[in-house]
Amino acid sequence: MKRFIGLVAALTLTTSAVAAEQFVVYASRSFVRWGPASAIERAFEAAHPGVDLVWVAPAGAAEMLSRLIAELSTGRTDADLFLGVTAGSLPRALAEGVFRPFDPDLIPNLAFVPDDLRVDPSGHVLPFDHGYIAFVASPALAEDLLPRSFADLLRPELRGKIILQDPRTSETGLAFLLWTIAHFGEDWSEFWRALLPNLLTITRGWTEAFAMFEAGEAPLVLSYSTDAAYAYITAGEAKYRVLTLDGEAYRLVEGLGIVRTTRRPDLAHAFIDIVLSPEIQALIPTSQWMFPVHSEVELPPDFARLAVVPEHPVFLGPGEVAELLDDWISRWQALLGS
Amino acid sequence: MAGPPRQLTGRGAAGAALALLPLLFLGVAFFWPLWDVLRLGLQVDGRWTGERLLAALSDPYVRRLILFTVEQAALSALLSLGLGFPLGWFLTRYRFPGRGLLRAFTIVPFVLPSITVALGFVLFFGRSGHLNRLLMGLFGLGEPPIRVLYTLWAVVLAHAFYNAPVVARFVNSAWERADPTLVEAARALGAGRFRAFATVTLPLLLPTVLSALALVFVLCTLSFSIPLALGGARYATVEVGVYLYARGVVASFPRAAALALLTLGLSLALTYLHLWGGGTFSARQGGVRTAPTVPLLSRERPGRALWLLYLIPAAIVFLGPIGAVVADSFLHPAPGGAAPTLHWYRMIASPAWNPFIESSPLAAVRTSLLVGGGATGLALVLGLSVSAVLRRVRSRILETILMAPLAVSSVVVGLALLLAFRRSPLSALGGEWAIVLAHTLIVYPFVVRAIRPLWDALDPALPEAARTLGASPFAAFRTVTLPLLGSGVLAAGAFAFALSLGEMTAVAMLSGPGVMTMPMAIYHFLGSRDFGAASAMATVLMATTALAAWAWDRAGSRWLSRTGAPAGFRRLPDSAEPVERVASGFMPNHTAVRRLRKVVADRLRRYGEPIHSTTDPVPASAADKHRRTHG
Repeated sequence: MKRFIGLVAALTLTTSAVAAEQFVVYASRSFVRWGPASAIERAFEAAHPGVDLVWVAPAGAAEMLSRLIAELSTGRTDADLFLGVTAGSLPRALAEGVFRPFDPDLIPNLAFVPDDLRVDPSGHVLPFDHGYIAFVASPALAEDLLPRSFADLLRPELRGKIILQDPRTSETGLAFLLWTIAHFGEDWSEFWRALLPNLLTITRGWTEAFAMFEAGEAPLVLSYSTDAAYAYITAGEAKYRVLTLDGEAYRLVEGLGIVRTTRRPDLAHAFIDIVLSPEIQALIPTSQWMFPVHSEVELPPDFARLAVVPEHPVFLGPGEVAELLDDWISRWQALLGS
Repeated sequence: MAGPPRQLTGRGAAGAALALLPLLFLGVAFFWPLWDVLRLGLQVDGRWTGERLLAALSDPYVRRLILFTVEQAALSALLSLGLGFPLGWFLTRYRFPGRGLLRAFTIVPFVLPSITVALGFVLFFGRSGHLNRLLMGLFGLGEPPIRVLYTLWAVVLAHAFYNAPVVARFVNSAWERADPTLVEAARALGAGRFRAFATVTLPLLLPTVLSALALVFVLCTLSFSIPLALGGARYATVEVGVYLYARGVVASFPRAAALALLTLGLSLALTYLHLWGGGTFSARQGGVRTAPTVPLLSRERPGRALWLLYLIPAAIVFLGPIGAVVADSFLHPAPGGAAPTLHWYRMIASPAWNPFIESSPLAAVRTSLLVGGGATGLALVLGLSVSAVLRRVRSRILETILMAPLAVSSVVVGLALLLAFRRSPLSALGGEWAIVLAHTLIVYPFVVRAIRPLWDALDPALPEAARTLGASPFAAFRTVTLPLLGSGVLAAGAFAFALSLGEMTAVAMLSGPGVMTMPMAIYHFLGSRDFGAASAMATVLMATTALAAWAWDRAGSRWLSRTGAPAGFRRLPDSAEPVERVASGFMPNHTAVRRLRKVVADRLRRYGEPIHSTTDPVPASAADKHRRTHG
């Protein structure tokens, strides 16, 4: 009995020990793993002594956003800021009232962000990087099998050779679903049905998909148009091929927003300003492997040379997505069984 | 049932008062939260309706979840039978060096947390996994030959890994009890070996086989971690669906609640079917003697070496994944490329925050141990008081209420507490408490099942003597009954601890920043394909669980390894009744069921059965022990 009481006391202690001043950022796993997260943390904590910046990133961005929505709907979340929302999931986030509006006056670096990147006219979400979603092939895929069009993706020789991400849990996965919808219109589900046999698996997030690809589990993965630059700059060899389909790649703008329930909006604005600062933005190309949003940041030459910009960028705006996303997702879910 | 039913007289009234404690606890931590789930699933704008259930059922995705759940459970049951039946036969028929070890080894899957098995499957059966690398190296192949991962078969094979040993034990014990005289008679009357098997042995084994199939089907229907970790987006079960809707995918609590009600209905229906079928299928045979074993390897019958064709692949399926986990914890290259390395063990001992598991690895280990300890303590208190109540008040209704969490799957318990912890009074507690309560609800029925037969066998004269000497009822319990139940309680506690350590379903529903246990941390490491860290933590988890299982076994056998009833007991705990109940009543609850039911059944069979046996009142092993003790 005494031991039991001791255990209970110990548990209570651990529960109350979490109460130091923390600023909690929910982010996508890929941003914390690859992006300038630790540089942001250093800059933020140096500017705000006594505040502990805590990254929470056990899943892909879309899944983290769903979790945040679920937590808010029952009134309790630890998150102060969310990083990784894209145009695809923006309408849902706005409809659920996840974010509070930001105050542009508190974010001086916002002046350097071009207007065409500001995907949220309602003033809740700000961009911090952008880029393109495309297919990436490893050297294991024979030259004549490299897909150049949507039709090529359906070739029987590619059976079980493609890794995709789940549009319900991953922003890149959602981008691909929207891309097929933009490309095929109403016929998108036919294309998906035909594509299923060629998929090795549909992962929950981009991180595990890319790790599987790098480990050689499959030679084709849905990823970013900068991956050839990544391979060249980090490994010194152009081992990955970036493939646009019919000249298209899907445009992705990643944004961040202040969580409705935060008690520290001042810190949240300061955090955003640090993310948009030229120092952090200069790290975006070769860590997050995306394009920076700060207009005065120069791209590294190798990055500028190798990062693929498609002939025809494809993009569905939040307005076009808002109404129909639920329906698309449930139709996509229904396809899984076929 | 032991002892005559008691009336609700003076003692019964005391029992009713005693019942308040567990009823209060279950009311706050179980029934009220479950009521929230019911309301969320069945109420729209304050009015009761089946709309949400019907909407869920008309969604093709939900129908797909249900279909896949049934499909994979049926396939898993058949594959478990296919893999387990030969092993049961093998263990019954042959003697060979290491037979006892092999038999003992069939218990191993029971003490393995399922997420470690999922990890092992990824490491071992992946396209770039150990098996494929080995085969490609051996035969100079350009393409990986084994393509089981990422398909339905990965889930089925992992379920078979868990359940084939169950089938083997069922078949083995039924076969050993089947009277060989019948087969010999058939052979003497001219039946060939195959005909004798098909017309005599098989019908004798059929009830057991059906019962094992039903059990495996139920367990695989309610399985969570394995389809979650191995199924990808395409192969999700209803249980996984509840999790996805509540936590991950579309963030819809009403849909999660509707799915939870479906799985609740499913588990209640299966429990009922099994209870009903359990009576029909219960083993009827009881042989006069057991079949003789023959040596496996003999000069006269070299054909028996063909068994290796079964045994080698079976060993690969069973040992490969576990071996891969342990090996990778040392051999997975550290960031600098060094291997073998202790880097991953240093990493999981780190107190530094890790965003990918939303905790520090060390804190996850500590939380696991504290939650296990807290849940064990609560489950023992709750289990003892429920046992005490059920001894005093024999009421079907009260028993159903007090044991109700047994019939509710872990994911539903998790959802109920997830909702309950968002409002008072439970919201005043920290997030770890949600997991502690969930684990308490999941394990205490097993504590009750383990303690009640012991308590029923206890000589009531002893606590009564204490009472006549002036001790209060609680003092008599504390100074007489509890010490006598001592190692039985300890065994139940160690078992509860092992269960809590490996449990991931409720944790998946309830974890959050800073609230993380080892299995869930392994799942997150696996999700970001940090195999080194995942393997190191899985190895630590397996070792800790094995230690708890060992303590449970020791504590249990200390109590039971005597030839007669221990001092203070009128007799050994009644074997037939608990075995029967274990076999019929335990079904709905996941891995726990498997572990406890098997071990309880085994132990009771080993120690209890001689009492009922007509020919051999003292089994050889017990006689040996007797000689050792007294000789």
